[in-house]
Amino acid sequence: MNKFLIYLSGFVILSLYFILTIFILPSEFLMTEQLIPKPSFQAVLSDSEIILNDSFRLDITSVNNGDYADIHIVSVAFPELIEIDDVVKIATYDFTLSPSYISVGEEIGSKYSGGVETTISQYPSIEAMSRPLKSDVETHFDIVVTPKKSGIFNIYVKSIGIPHTSDVSHYPYSGILDHQNEHVLVYSVTVNP
Amino acid sequence: MTTLTPKSSETFLKNKSEFIFLIGSIFTSFGILLVTVGGSWDITNHLLSKPESFFSPPHALMYSGVAISLTGVVLSFVGWKNLQKFKDSYFLSLKIQLIGIGLLTGAGPLDFIWHSYFGLDGLLSPPHFTLITGMFLCSVGGMIGISRYLKFNNSQSIAKYLLILAVIPVWLSASGIISSLSLPFSSTDFFEFNPEPTIAFIIASLAYPFLISLSLTLIFRLSNYQFGILSILGGLFLLIYSSTAIIPNFAMFDTIQFYSLNLIPFVIADIFLKINRSKFSLFFAGGLVGSIFYMVYYPYVMYTYNEILLGKLVSPSLIYFVYFELIQTVLVYTLIPAIIMGFLGVLFSAKLSKKILMN
Repeated sequence: MNKFLIYLSGFVILSLYFILTIFILPSEFLMTEQLIPKPSFQAVLSDSEIILNDSFRLDITSVNNGDYADIHIVSVAFPELIEIDDVVKIATYDFTLSPSYISVGEEIGSKYSGGVETTISQYPSIEAMSRPLKSDVETHFDIVVTPKKSGIFNIYVKSIGIPHTSDVSHYPYSGILDHQNEHVLVYSVTVNP
Repeated sequence: MTTLTPKSSETFLKNKSEFIFLIGSIFTSFGILLVTVGGSWDITNHLLSKPESFFSPPHALMYSGVAISLTGVVLSFVGWKNLQKFKDSYFLSLKIQLIGIGLLTGAGPLDFIWHSYFGLDGLLSPPHFTLITGMFLCSVGGMIGISRYLKFNNSQSIAKYLLILAVIPVWLSASGIISSLSLPFSSTDFFEFNPEPTIAFIIASLAYPFLISLSLTLIFRLSNYQFGILSILGGLFLLIYSSTAIIPNFAMFDTIQFYSLNLIPFVIADIFLKINRSKFSLFFAGGLVGSIFYMVYYPYVMYTYNEILLGKLVSPSLIYFVYFELIQTVLVYTLIPAIIMGFLGVLFSAKLSKKILMN
């Protein structure tokens, strides 16, 4: 009789364990709110017009206005270039990870999927990354650019927070789409001959 | 004044040498325990991208562990050398410890050369696999040494708890081998060592349940069916895993309550085996503990199943969301194979315990 009671209690407890771990707790945890990072940035151009062989500077200050971000990315891309070479130099950089240089033809993530969906890069870019970034922490990424051709020199800038859990987890929220099908702000400088 | 006869001096030397061998085996096992704990903690730090230097706490733990294991193998050798006619009984343990420590210490320079040529490596790489294999062999050697000492000396119940120290490093280092062959953490700029997702799925689904069942039923047999030992070993595994893989990630801290529930099946299996030690009870215990492998290996096992079932980007704060999103689907696919592997773990533990205890 005693043994029977112990077996019975054991099976009841085991049933409770499986119900809790497979059904109840998972749905409880899945109902908790996910973190929503809210990246944004301010970029300041030193000049809007330069003479060929002169340089200009783009100072970017980015911040995470939302929840803790596992990864905070600021990307600057150069649609007028085929390679970065010595046209672009990093002047200030305080992100936690080293900058990543992306060349034309590389496989890169798209549509804010963090690499789950991919595409091929059509122009070079530099990605600055902090892992992680707490709320309200500022990061800086300043570049000096010396164009080698006259004309309009465009720079695409965007910032993305991961986990990308909302439409505010990237900045800008709308506007021009780049080769990764992600929104960018465009900073243009006229290079006179 | 008493004088030692040749016979009693031989016995004294044998006892002393055997004890030195035991201390050596304990050191070897304890060292590997530190290496595995440090390794698991280090993986978590890498996933969280915590700033790392050579002098980080996980590295300190790992290198101290290697030094302790090395001391252990030297002590085992010294003890074994003076064992005279008992040498054969401990030779298997010593041989495995020596091969293990050779691989373990050789992996260091190999890792340095690899880093010099190919930069940072992932979880699975030739030096890392050499290291984990060395850890596994050292821990197996230590386990055999401790188990045989306890058997030959008819050790009392309390001494049998030493078996926990003998088996836990084997369980942890074998988990490391399975993880490196199934987790998608091994892609680098130079090499793509990530396992093929379907193969990784199969490895994880079969090997983890087998290992849990084998470890728990093996310690139960080695201890001559000691009540409580299975629960303590299971609980210790959960404690180590939670403190190295869950607590360091603040986003997962709340899930500790979920993880700690996994102690229940271990305790129930222990109680059922206390009441009834039949083959049926052993198979029930093996199947039960095998079936909960997805919960026991929370959270990292999720990465293997995510590759093939969801394909989501998993950043550290999303780990438990993806884990819980997958739990029911994973169990639908793996429950029956896991129970069967749990049964096989029971059968294998019977053969292995006979070999270890020279029955």
